[in-house]
Amino acid sequence: MRKILNVVPLLIFCILLVYLFVLLNEDKNDLTSALIGKEIPVFELPSLKDPELVLENKDLKDLPALINVWATWCVACAVEHPFLLELSNNKGVPIYGINYKDSRKKAIDYLKRKKDPFKFNIFDSSGDLGIDLGVYGAPETFLISQKGTIIDRHAGALNSEIWDQKFRIYFPED
Amino acid sequence: MIPEIGHIFLISAMVFAFAGGVFPAVGIFKKNAFLISAYKPLIISTSIFALLSFLMLVYSFSKDDFSLLYIATNSNTNLPFYYKLAATWGAHEGSLLLWISILCLWSLAYFFKTRQEEDKYRCLTFVVLSQIIFSFISFTIFTSNPFERILPISPVQGVELNPLLQDFAFTIHPPLLYAGYSGLSIPFAIVISALLTNSNKSIWARQARSWTLLSCSFLTLGICLGSWWAYYELGWGGWWFWDPVENVAFVPWLISVALFHSLLVTDKRGFFINWSILLTIMAFASCLLGTFLVRSGILTSVHSFALDPERGVFLLIIFGYFIFSSLAIYALKSNARESNQSYGLYSKEFGLLLNNLLLVILALSILFGTFFPLIYEGVTNGKQISVGAPYYEILILPFAAGLALLQGVALFLGWNTTEDQSFIKRILIETIVIFIVYNILVYVFLGEITAGAFISGLMFCWIVAGNLIDFFVLNLKSSYLYKAIIRRFSVILSHTGTAVLILGVGIVSSYSLENEIKLSKGEIYSFGKYQLSFEDISMFNQKNYESEMAIIGVTDMAGRKMTPMLTEKRFYPSAKQVTSEAAIKSTIFHDLYVTLGDDLGRGDWSFRVQIKPFVRWIWFGAIMIALGTCLASLTSMKRKE
Repeated sequence: MRKILNVVPLLIFCILLVYLFVLLNEDKNDLTSALIGKEIPVFELPSLKDPELVLENKDLKDLPALINVWATWCVACAVEHPFLLELSNNKGVPIYGINYKDSRKKAIDYLKRKKDPFKFNIFDSSGDLGIDLGVYGAPETFLISQKGTIIDRHAGALNSEIWDQKFRIYFPED
Repeated sequence: MIPEIGHIFLISAMVFAFAGGVFPAVGIFKKNAFLISAYKPLIISTSIFALLSFLMLVYSFSKDDFSLLYIATNSNTNLPFYYKLAATWGAHEGSLLLWISILCLWSLAYFFKTRQEEDKYRCLTFVVLSQIIFSFISFTIFTSNPFERILPISPVQGVELNPLLQDFAFTIHPPLLYAGYSGLSIPFAIVISALLTNSNKSIWARQARSWTLLSCSFLTLGICLGSWWAYYELGWGGWWFWDPVENVAFVPWLISVALFHSLLVTDKRGFFINWSILLTIMAFASCLLGTFLVRSGILTSVHSFALDPERGVFLLIIFGYFIFSSLAIYALKSNARESNQSYGLYSKEFGLLLNNLLLVILALSILFGTFFPLIYEGVTNGKQISVGAPYYEILILPFAAGLALLQGVALFLGWNTTEDQSFIKRILIETIVIFIVYNILVYVFLGEITAGAFISGLMFCWIVAGNLIDFFVLNLKSSYLYKAIIRRFSVILSHTGTAVLILGVGIVSSYSLENEIKLSKGEIYSFGKYQLSFEDISMFNQKNYESEMAIIGVTDMAGRKMTPMLTEKRFYPSAKQVTSEAAIKSTIFHDLYVTLGDDLGRGDWSFRVQIKPFVRWIWFGAIMIALGTCLASLTSMKRKE
């Protein structure tokens, strides 16, 4: 009996370990591979700045482009914001924003204060488009091809290193 | 050249650590005296080479060697010299090297402290430590090497160290926290070695206890500094956010506190032997898990600096190796017989048993709260949920109350049974008396008595009555007062520290005032007991940032003018980041806290003003706990039997 009891902690630990491994692998690949090469999910959502204006897939005209999922409650979004500004202002990269599970007023204020790198923003307050895209946190950035398919994605704050590694080649330098 | 030397030193340290983790163990197996005694030179050279390698990195930082990728991304010529040095551990790679260096210092300290111990047991301790050092160095070299060069064209200027980290408290926060984290490797090594050599509990339990106490003291200081930093640097006036990274530092703290209490019983009475062993493994596991969770990118938060799944897998392998093998050793070798005696309900043993249950369950619940969003996401296919402060605040209250109850009677419980139970009546009366005084004071000075103040005040009075008042009253008559204080000083200090902390938390969370206001130049705003006037705002350039500084004149209730407060907003051009420097005027009983907001145009500026009563008590209490545990560790190390 004593011997059996001694093995219990080991067993519990093995379960935990397996769980951690699953967690780690899931985060890495599954969501990513499921989307690549597919078209952007169909959406019909209001614009951030003008609640009356309804945005659809065909409004994403300027391609290739980046789609950036962000929110005012997200600290890392504030960190990557200056880099997005640099991309859109200096490198002429078109960036469409998805304002994710956020309040309209806060988001508009935020863009006023920090300047606006986005062509326009889709206001996804319920997070539905986010779910269709398989977003698992803000910020997240998707690379959209000329034909409107998803080429790549990056979860977490964008910086110049990741830009060079993953996205840069798709945008001709002017 | 210097970085290459550092790199070579690090590789040598790795080789020595590998040798130290394998050969002496083989020596024990083969009964080869030469291999066994090899652990001494091996652990010393491992430590020295690792420390030298760390110094080389610090030196490269001081010389602005931007050909190193790590330095180019974390330092800058404009950075003040002190922060250049501190930038060494400002991000993932360097902080790992710091972790390793501190563990090496611990190993050296343990080495010189245990010269008289028996060889086999001591040797195995260092085998375990060498293996830990080896795994962390190889993790550093293979996945996050700070000595990686950018060649042939290296930048002339670096990106800046994260401006939020350019702060004195934050430069010493990581070393202290890591000292606590890595220090828990020592009791872990002790326990594993004791299990393998069937060594006598009287040796290992006391040793493990002293080193746990010391690590816990560092951990307390580290967490306390982090909280203080968050308070004044993030500009929100919050002191604890239940952020995942804070939680994974808090969990090892709780477990190590449970551990040194449990080891006391093992040492003195021979109970809880298996439990102490398991707790030691748990404490070390929680430290590794903390490192793993923060660095693998599974949990993202303000603190996370490495979002790299490859690193996650590596760390998980390290985690799995150590904890799996130690639990396997436990399952196979643990044949410890608990003492045959039993103990009564009103005994120190039972009190400490309850203490351990409360602490460990609390630790597990916090861990669960940290993990729950991930589990939820997995089960619901990507829906997100965040477990925030409300969960933890409700959770922690009954545990805190239970622990406070135990702390109040801790000094009076005897081993095995408590014969004189008259103390309960006395403490009750004393508690009631000071609690009435306390409520009157709260009512007079803070205006009303809230639930938070009531509950935390009750806990405070109970602990203070049990640890200070009754103790002194009782011993005053005897001529032993001085001796009794010396003997119990560390316990009294840390338990009273907890009381001070609890009171601080209770009051600051229920009496804080906060307002977002708009002021134009010359305007006066009355806030609490103060009159604030917006006197001036000016802009100036510093070496590595531009600053907007507002001057706020302060007049107190009596109309006396006090020194004006300066609050700043800094813009760091190379990092493109804005930080706010809060102006804080603190007294023992409250802080006045002002942060500069945004320019609203037409000369108007927004400010956030806050009054935080008793907020200092939180950190003061934590410092008392740290001093108490440190003292307890030193006295128990000194005592030789």
